[in-house]
Amino acid sequence: MPFKNPPSPLADETKNTIKEIVCDILEIEDDEMTDVSLFIDEHDMDSLRAIEILAAIEKRLNVTIEQEEMARMVNLEGVYAVVEQAARN
Amino acid sequence: MVTSAGSPAHRDTTAISCWATASPYGLGASAFRAGLMTKQAAVRPLPEELRAGGPHEEGGWVPDFDIKAVLGRKGTRSMDRLTALTVATVGMLLRSAGPGLAEDHPEAMGLVIGSGHGSVKSIMDFTKESMTSALPYHVDPGSVPNTVMNRAASQSAISHSIKGPNVTVSAGVLTGLIALNYATALLRQRRAEAVLVGASEEYSAQRSWLAQRADAGDGQQTSGPLGEGSVLLLLEPASRAVAYGRPVLAEVVASRFTAFTEPEGAQRSLARSVTGALQEARASPDQVTLVVPSDRGGYLGDYENAALSAVLSDHRPQLVLTRALIGDMSAAAAAFQLAAALVHANTGGLALVTSVDPGGNAGCTLLRLPAASS
Repeated sequence: MPFKNPPSPLADETKNTIKEIVCDILEIEDDEMTDVSLFIDEHDMDSLRAIEILAAIEKRLNVTIEQEEMARMVNLEGVYAVVEQAARN
Repeated sequence: MVTSAGSPAHRDTTAISCWATASPYGLGASAFRAGLMTKQAAVRPLPEELRAGGPHEEGGWVPDFDIKAVLGRKGTRSMDRLTALTVATVGMLLRSAGPGLAEDHPEAMGLVIGSGHGSVKSIMDFTKESMTSALPYHVDPGSVPNTVMNRAASQSAISHSIKGPNVTVSAGVLTGLIALNYATALLRQRRAEAVLVGASEEYSAQRSWLAQRADAGDGQQTSGPLGEGSVLLLLEPASRAVAYGRPVLAEVVASRFTAFTEPEGAQRSLARSVTGALQEARASPDQVTLVVPSDRGGYLGDYENAALSAVLSDHRPQLVLTRALIGDMSAAAAAFQLAAALVHANTGGLALVTSVDPGGNAGCTLLRLPAASS
């Protein structure tokens, strides 16, 4: 039976760091955000906040994320997948 | 379309009908009024987080100004102190001024903010981050808006739904007077029904270093201690103020600005400004009841005093000095002088606010004060 969303192989510590960064930038509490809640529709993200999230993750996790990947960064699951791919490259 | 060509030359006067400040005495006009009336010195040792290794040990800093505590958590993550002081002061003014403003007529409201360089701290911090991070683009994009000088004006408009003209004015220590004249022009040319106008400065070690180094080669005109804060005035036609139940605290009568190229030219330059403003107001020097000079000390202070003595002759109006109490407000200095004039505006007659900038500009604004009613 295939997983609908394959579990991300990112370490929990990395995921926590990402969630911390996103919640800080979107100015919400950790418990207001789930892995699937949508940044724009549910957390009022605008384009500047999106760039802030990308830049902060690049700096903190020392990865390079292409700008076109921002389209996939719609929620935490999307960010985890993008970071996981970026870490492999 | 010309509709007034044949009508009498009656022109609604331009009134200051409300004001607010975040000052070294705390948040609110009443704190500033109380501090000024009792001549309480608000220049005091800087807390460590503000001093941050800067060359000045004392300053006129705004107490208890925690950005998130004052403005809330939303939208404040990347806001610098200069922006926050301005947003908070605009908020205080709108809350105390009552109806007919941003909530009711957002498109009819203008905002004119005077600023020195924007936040030199934000500009330098951002540049430093780019230069010291592993990669030059490892910077915080959220800080980018802080690095432009119209950040305070634009964020204040966004935060408070002010959708009319949005202007940032920078003119050294004269900034507050030039901004007031700009706002008056917006009203007279019907670009806005009412304008919030003022100026802001934040304390930072970076500003402190710049001020100190700018003085280093001079030796006569020393800076500091520095002050910080924001002053906002509500400017609108007097009839509009009355219609919304606001008092006419003062009327803007005339402003004059002149230039000089040698320091000793400052005296003649300012004297010409004051004489010109009095002429435009069709007033004589003995109608001036209140003088608020920039009080810069050093040779510029001497030239300012000499110019005032020359124009006012034997006449001795009440003199209000603020610099020793609240510090050198730099680009917000003249706006704080205007606020100081409003604090003392119970005499009737004319208030004369003067300023002299070491960059070679002098100027003044005349306000007509309501006659004492009580």
